[in-house]
Amino acid sequence: MSEVQRRKYSQEEKTAIFDGEFMPHIDSMYNFAFRLTFDEDDAKDLVQDTYMKAFRFINSFEQGTNAKAWLFRILKNSFINEYRKKSKQPAKVDYQEVETFYNSDDVDYQSTTDLRAESVKDMLGDEISNALNALAVDFRTVIILADLEGFTYEEMAKILDIPIGTVRSRLHRARNLLKDQLKGYAQSMGYNTDEEEED
Amino acid sequence: MEINDQASGERKLECSDVTKCFQLLESILDGELGDSGKEILKDKLAKCQPCFEHFHLEEAIRDVLKTKCTKQPVPTELADSIRQMIKEGK
Repeated sequence: MSEVQRRKYSQEEKTAIFDGEFMPHIDSMYNFAFRLTFDEDDAKDLVQDTYMKAFRFINSFEQGTNAKAWLFRILKNSFINEYRKKSKQPAKVDYQEVETFYNSDDVDYQSTTDLRAESVKDMLGDEISNALNALAVDFRTVIILADLEGFTYEEMAKILDIPIGTVRSRLHRARNLLKDQLKGYAQSMGYNTDEEEED
Repeated sequence: MEINDQASGERKLECSDVTKCFQLLESILDGELGDSGKEILKDKLAKCQPCFEHFHLEEAIRDVLKTKCTKQPVPTELADSIRQMIKEGK
């Protein structure tokens, strides 16, 4: 959150910003929270908490700037600071560990995958969701932000407090990990084999 | 194995700089290059088979994520309870 307090909004202005610019994102916010916590109550608490903070710090929000990105940033920080600790699901990978290990911008771009576009297109919503949910939270997060919520690299860099180059490389790694997951489904369904007939 | 295009025989089968090309393709797919991306894309896809395949796979993945991921319905009382909490906090 920006430390610069640009101006003070009147009570009416606050309500107008809150209802007009913040509340319309509740759907995306809840879904983001749910994909982070995998728990309905935790997701609810996280969203509630985020909106309370958003209101408390509303003077540091500049009207006309991207409210959704601003809210997502608060939600992400709340998740890291509070919910990560008490989350029912133990984090598979420690955040710091991932940060230092994966923050290198050098990525190996190789066309190693034998996954085909056709088999991806045939996959079911549940398979896609499960594959996404199986990723470590930092990889899951960039895919949610980019593909499900349509944020730009620059917006993601601000939400996550990382350089744009890191957004790009983390996103690339995340999608590669997702491909590995999807490959498992494709193989189990026989998409990837040369033989057409079933035995 | 053909991917929905007869002309793939004319494409080169090796990409001379996979890292640069794939990174570029992914930026274009993520909408980072705007309109200038479209021209580069047309050219790349017409000439290079690995780029062509990579592009279509990456496109398919983005597409299924966008359209097929199951959405969680927001609890109906959530918006009201947030408004209530803010009112009380004033």
